Amino acid sequence: MSASAHATPMVRPRVESASVPNEVQSTTDDAPVNAVNATPKKKEPPPEKPEHIRLRILVISSWWAIIMFLGLPVWWYTTTIYRASLPLDEMRDWADGRVCRPVFPLRISIEADSLQDHESQHLLRTTQHALDDLNDFSAHHLRLQLSPPTNASVSANGISVEGGDEEVALKIRLLPGTETKIDLQAYSPILDVYYTPNQIPSSSSSSSSLATSIANKLRELFAEEQAMIAYLLSTSSAPPERSPKALAPEVTDSLAKWTTRSMKYSRTYHLTFSLFTPTAVPSSWDIEAALEEHMKPLLDSFSSISNFTIDTQVQLYATPGVSGSVLKKADLSGFINAAEWPLSPSIGGAPTVNFIVYVGDMEVEGGGKSWLIPQWGGVVIQSDITDLRPAMLIFSNQLMSLLGAPETGSLPLRLLTLIRVRSAGLLLKASGTMGSLARLSDALRSISIPKSVADGVYTTIEHLNQACEGLGGKEGLENARIAEEAAEKAFFEKSMVGQVYFPDEHKIAVYMPLLGPVGVPLVMGVLKEFKAWRKRRMGGV
Amino acid sequence: MWGNKALVAMRLILSLLLLLSAAIPHATASSDYHEQLNLRSLHPSLLLASFNFQSNTSLTSFEQQNFRYFPRSLGQILQHANTRELHLRFSLGRWDAESWGARPWGGAREGGTGVELWAWVEAESDEEADGRWLTLTNALSGLFCASLNFIDSTRTIRPVMSFEPAGNHSSSTLDNLHLLHGTLPREVVCTENLTPFLKLLPCKGKAGISSLLDGHKLFDASWQSMSIDVKPICEPGSSDCQLQITQTIDMVLDLQRSKRPRDNPIPRPVSYEELRCDLSKDYHSHDTCFPLDAAAQEEEWILSHIFGHPLKGTCPLADDGIDPVCINVPHARHVYASEGAHEHKDESGYKRCFALSPDKDFEIILPQQEISEKSPLEQPLLYAERSFIGYGQESGGVQAILTNPSSTNAIEFVYLETLPWFMKLYLHTLKAKINGVEEDIIKEMYYRPALDRKRGTQLEIRILIPANSTVVLTYDFEKAILRYTEYPPDANRGFDIAPAVITIGDIAIRTTSLLLPLPTPDFSMPYNVIILTSTVMALSFGFIYNLLIRRFVAIDEADQWDVRAVRLKVLAVAQKFMSRFLEKRSKDGKDD
Repeated sequence: MSASAHATPMVRPRVESASVPNEVQSTTDDAPVNAVNATPKKKEPPPEKPEHIRLRILVISSWWAIIMFLGLPVWWYTTTIYRASLPLDEMRDWADGRVCRPVFPLRISIEADSLQDHESQHLLRTTQHALDDLNDFSAHHLRLQLSPPTNASVSANGISVEGGDEEVALKIRLLPGTETKIDLQAYSPILDVYYTPNQIPSSSSSSSSLATSIANKLRELFAEEQAMIAYLLSTSSAPPERSPKALAPEVTDSLAKWTTRSMKYSRTYHLTFSLFTPTAVPSSWDIEAALEEHMKPLLDSFSSISNFTIDTQVQLYATPGVSGSVLKKADLSGFINAAEWPLSPSIGGAPTVNFIVYVGDMEVEGGGKSWLIPQWGGVVIQSDITDLRPAMLIFSNQLMSLLGAPETGSLPLRLLTLIRVRSAGLLLKASGTMGSLARLSDALRSISIPKSVADGVYTTIEHLNQACEGLGGKEGLENARIAEEAAEKAFFEKSMVGQVYFPDEHKIAVYMPLLGPVGVPLVMGVLKEFKAWRKRRMGGV
Repeated sequence: MWGNKALVAMRLILSLLLLLSAAIPHATASSDYHEQLNLRSLHPSLLLASFNFQSNTSLTSFEQQNFRYFPRSLGQILQHANTRELHLRFSLGRWDAESWGARPWGGAREGGTGVELWAWVEAESDEEADGRWLTLTNALSGLFCASLNFIDSTRTIRPVMSFEPAGNHSSSTLDNLHLLHGTLPREVVCTENLTPFLKLLPCKGKAGISSLLDGHKLFDASWQSMSIDVKPICEPGSSDCQLQITQTIDMVLDLQRSKRPRDNPIPRPVSYEELRCDLSKDYHSHDTCFPLDAAAQEEEWILSHIFGHPLKGTCPLADDGIDPVCINVPHARHVYASEGAHEHKDESGYKRCFALSPDKDFEIILPQQEISEKSPLEQPLLYAERSFIGYGQESGGVQAILTNPSSTNAIEFVYLETLPWFMKLYLHTLKAKINGVEEDIIKEMYYRPALDRKRGTQLEIRILIPANSTVVLTYDFEKAILRYTEYPPDANRGFDIAPAVITIGDIAIRTTSLLLPLPTPDFSMPYNVIILTSTVMALSFGFIYNLLIRRFVAIDEADQWDVRAVRLKVLAVAQKFMSRFLEKRSKDGKDD
């Protein structure tokens, strides 16, 4: 109570004293005027001529016009960041799988020279029926056809393709025999089917045991590939109705491992075979002969998919990253002593696959002496290097898995499967990247999009289209690879991110010393004029 | 004419010298790998250690990429960049030719301060060669953890007179070979460059003389140089070619500093008891000390103290019977080697070598000894020094002093200068004075002027110096003003200018690098400019705008901006608020 009582008397005199000089001022300033005119405090200026007012409004509006229609656009244009126009809708369509449906119509030709034409036609129909009944995944579809009977001699030169674009995934040879037997040839994509004469289906029957067994065999052969493609589709952003029914969890697990294990597809791979020894011996090995004998044939068969360069090295005094005579599973990743072992990454873009023979008598927990390092290479521990055959065989297997080939089937079939699976993978990856780029461009409006990115996008889409048309063949693989490369390059364009660190706020801050002092008089002028106008109107009314 | 003769004679001497030092590969061609360490005492209390590692591989196995002694990482790079011959140098410090004599290897295995690289690249055209050179520098940059990728077109030259291929190239490839040369004088050579260097060796610093190499000691040296040379060598008349890689490390160690224990490396003043004073001086007392002349006193040192650890046996790949460790001291000097080592004394009287036992640590002990005999110092062929002259921010000059110490032989050499584009050379000011008299001693000149931001200046001069005379070479230059973004982060430190290379036949001498101060702007300038310009523009705009839209009236007709009234209003509001707040508080107090 006392505080407030104090406060009021303190202020009150001030109010009084403040009002006094005001009066004093007005009396002193306007003393002669006051004598004549008692009431007004200040003299009103004479009324303005309307043309003056009009002229002022004209001046203000012309300034505004210049600034709005010339200044701002020039400023905007000169400081704006370049954003090349991207076909965003098309990119999103690709990502969502609306443009291309990865369908693999696998052509399987039946060669039945020993059968009558109508018999073979009928067999084909019944087998196709049996196959269609078994198949529940529309994207992966086996289609049977009869091979022209004139081409009686079968060229067994592996996976070479006859007849241009008509790529045949597998050839079935129907051969008369004494018992029913289905054999897959080891070195060419040919399935030999031996049948007894009574198994030829009569034209009236809608099914036959021969057709069923062929269908079952075919399904068995292509089951892994189907699972792989199904897995790829399910992990991509394709619409769910296109994915097949859910895969079994253990299949999904093994396929997930397969994707983490296999290396990125490339036209060329560098293979490096290294001998590491903890002491000074042995300082040489007979690697050339071993490679010639055990590695070259495999690599030659890959020639349609990828090329390989080989180099070898011997490294002495190499200590591994872990010690002990029994290596635990957890140690294996640290075995490669990356700091000391000269396994420098390759130059020239192609990825390197490292194969290491380590001289020693260590053992992996559980008894093994070799292991695979996902997307990197393989290691074999061997105490004696006079015989390199076992190591080379292990390396061959490791190479197959690193390249992403399926685990079952004959070599030619595995390679053909590899082409299809790789093209599908690359296609889906490139499409996904397109979608990410479209999202990125939407989400960050302030990043620049240089022309090279737009070019990359168009290249990608063009090659994606071509890949989609020729899916399943080598053309498709090549196009998918180009598309994927271009997509990655466009997505990881360096100059895009630089602008993120220089946002619009920064720009405004730099120009503030100009925008502030210019903007305030402009706005105040308009406000003042508006006020005056209102006053005039009020006064007028 | 006599100059040519002198040159021939000198070359003979040189080749003899080289033969002596590199007699090893000729002696036994059977072994593919050998290594040797040469120790030499330098005055005062310094030790020159020269490591030499050399291995050969057949060209066919190199082309098939089967690497055994040749490092794969380097081999792949050479193949990828189509490089037929490569010379790479990492150097630090200054070789004091006046007191240390001739350079190790005659200067053939050293580079200018920083990094120097020259290579013969096979290519059809100049553009292709440039592309491959770019690939090469980028790949080597990754391999050696050095900024070699900064060797761009402004730092690359194509020497015309200075360098000759050291390897044997077939005449068909020779036509397509392009010599490219680049320098990085600013690069600081350090441990991260030594580690990849050691990785290239077959024994990797785990055994043999390379086990002595250690970054702490190497980069503590007064002068050090690492080199890598790759060249093809072919037997004349046969198609059997070999690819030879030679790696050398030379360092001048300060014995006193090297003996400092590793756990206590800080230099401290010598305690009074350890001071060696000349007692014969009459002013010698407990607080005055005239240092004793230690010229005749040979310092004591132990190999493992100097290098930090002992030499771990021999590298088993070097099984050619060449002694891996040699020491250049007079035979009268006591040298004690560890057990199992065999000493071989050279008949010259100044060199002895040791055969090591393969698995045992090796140690040399040289006790303190009073000895008047010294191993002779080789006289260098030429003393060279280079410095800046002139003053100011705008222009300057360079002066190179080249002295021929020989009293009988004239020397012909090529002086190569690589200048950055922002150091604009005035060629007409180039003058050569011999013993103070201007004379025409420039025999031949190659000059390629600089292009701004594209390439540097290349100047090669062939000069003949008569015996016992000094040539002073001077020229003026102008300093260019760089763009704002072209300055390095520490712009005020100055810009390093690559050393000049003086080629005398097979050997090369390099001057030190120079530090060129350029006019440096204030780096906050752009923002100041923006703000100042904006302010000026805003001022002029406001002035004109107000002039146009204001109405001019008499002062008593104008609206008064009544500051006092505003203040009163604010005060009233404050008072109202205050009283309400106090009322509320007193109410709360009553409730309590």
